[in-house]
Amino acid sequence: MPATQEISENLIRENISRAISEVFQTMLGRKADLCVLTDQTNCWPPIPVDGQSNISQIVGTVGFLGDANGLIYLYLDVPFARIATGQMLGMTEQEIDEAGDEVINDAIGELTNMTVGSFKNGLSDAGFPCKLTIPTILRGSNFSIEPIAEVQRYIYKFQSAGQSIVTDILIKLGD
Amino acid sequence: MRNKILTVDDSKTVRIIVRKAFKSFDCEILEAANGVEGLAIAAKEMPDLILLDVTMPVMDGVEMLTKIKSDPQLKGIPIMMLTAEGGKDNVLKVAKIGVRDYIVKPFKEDVLIEKAGRIIELKPLTDSKGKARSIFDPATLLVVEDKPAIVQQIQEGLKTSPWKVHGVNSQAEALDFCAKTPPDLIMISLSLPEEAAFALFRLIRTNVKTKYTPVFGLVVKTETGAQQQAQTVGFTTVITKPIDISELESKVAKAMNLDTSQRYFTIESGVLVMRVPENCSTSVTAEISTYLKPKLSEAVDAGHNKAVIDVHQLRSLHMGVIKLLMQAMQTCRELGVHFALVGNTHIIAECKGFEDTRTWAFFDTLEDAKASLTKVPAPAMASAGS
Repeated sequence: MPATQEISENLIRENISRAISEVFQTMLGRKADLCVLTDQTNCWPPIPVDGQSNISQIVGTVGFLGDANGLIYLYLDVPFARIATGQMLGMTEQEIDEAGDEVINDAIGELTNMTVGSFKNGLSDAGFPCKLTIPTILRGSNFSIEPIAEVQRYIYKFQSAGQSIVTDILIKLGD
Repeated sequence: MRNKILTVDDSKTVRIIVRKAFKSFDCEILEAANGVEGLAIAAKEMPDLILLDVTMPVMDGVEMLTKIKSDPQLKGIPIMMLTAEGGKDNVLKVAKIGVRDYIVKPFKEDVLIEKAGRIIELKPLTDSKGKARSIFDPATLLVVEDKPAIVQQIQEGLKTSPWKVHGVNSQAEALDFCAKTPPDLIMISLSLPEEAAFALFRLIRTNVKTKYTPVFGLVVKTETGAQQQAQTVGFTTVITKPIDISELESKVAKAMNLDTSQRYFTIESGVLVMRVPENCSTSVTAEISTYLKPKLSEAVDAGHNKAVIDVHQLRSLHMGVIKLLMQAMQTCRELGVHFALVGNTHIIAECKGFEDTRTWAFFDTLEDAKASLTKVPAPAMASAGS
């Protein structure tokens, strides 16, 4: 069995780019392209790095366990999360308002589940079989998520018709 | 009986998308949020298809699948996986337990419908609903014809209808159109090169979205071989060229199961008006006759007890029309509806020539007939046509 250390940044970048593009195109009919970042720690949103923004965010999280172990956080600001929910479920702004935050949380949880599923299926086919965990949602502003030691972190930013999506990938090192 | 589809997924989002995907088909969607709920609903409802996620709390999809396959009562229910758990190893493992198909999320609703349609019969909702659409409702008609003049003739002929006629000239264009906007009816020229009409017909019938769409063949009268072939393979009907637009319109309405009664029956100022059109062919008299009793009963039920039978547009009298008018008057008497007749000079003169019709009294205008119904005592009116 290959150790998690053998998963290259290249494999991670390729898989997350493919996953984001596939999920956003299929479920929302939107293109989403990876931005070239010169300094990963200063990309916007996410809050995970500097914790300075007051913009309300919705963060979906799904983990993967097996020959590769880790977590992926998917960051969207609330206005974009509402747009994405509407596009995914065929709901109007008014219908989303009536349905409440629960429907947005569930939609972003599922969007994250599909993205991480697609990402980890790529890892599985590359020789790192693993399974998904159940999605969770974090909402708020001006917060940061700090990884513990022994974790490799990869942050990627995507643009989709003027809206930002950030993925924060944490992979545990070791077997 | 309606098909039941059980979607087992902890994501409400996925369950909403599944419900949305099947909303235009005659099926009932059942929902469960985990394997335990899924098993209970499966045992109670015996669904015709289960769409099953893998990663769920309480009981995951693999466990539910295993339990279903070991239950003699449930093991025959077809199961289609709908999950983000892809990867060759996962798919193979689940496939070994026994599933009919496997969709890896993200997924398109079209793909879900297409795959489900291979397992269960998916009938469009309009086909099975009792209430037919009206002749005044918009509809999309696709004409697959390589001769632009024919497309133009149909478009021109139906321009006063609420139907939108789209013309394409090849099989590929037709399939492309159907994929984007499934039409309400398709007309295909049987003289397209290389028997393309029949190949296209087969493809239309294998697509779940157009499986039940009425398909007409268009062909010249003398091409009897093509007409027979079309009828054998299952074309809804064949329209011969040169096209008789009124015949085409009538067949389109019938094929789309449209309610055409409003053409002949309207309520105007509390009076039911039955209008017999200028050309009253056998099919038209049959059509009016079918609506007669229900429409009169409906009017009485709504509190209207007056009717005008208006034949002033009619060109000539024949036995079919005479029988229809006698039936109309008889039905009025049975339901206690007071009625008056409106005719033109030609029809009134023709009526004088028949034993059964010579006593019929006509008014010259609709307004006079309506006014008479408020003045003349009911028994006298009821005897007008007897």
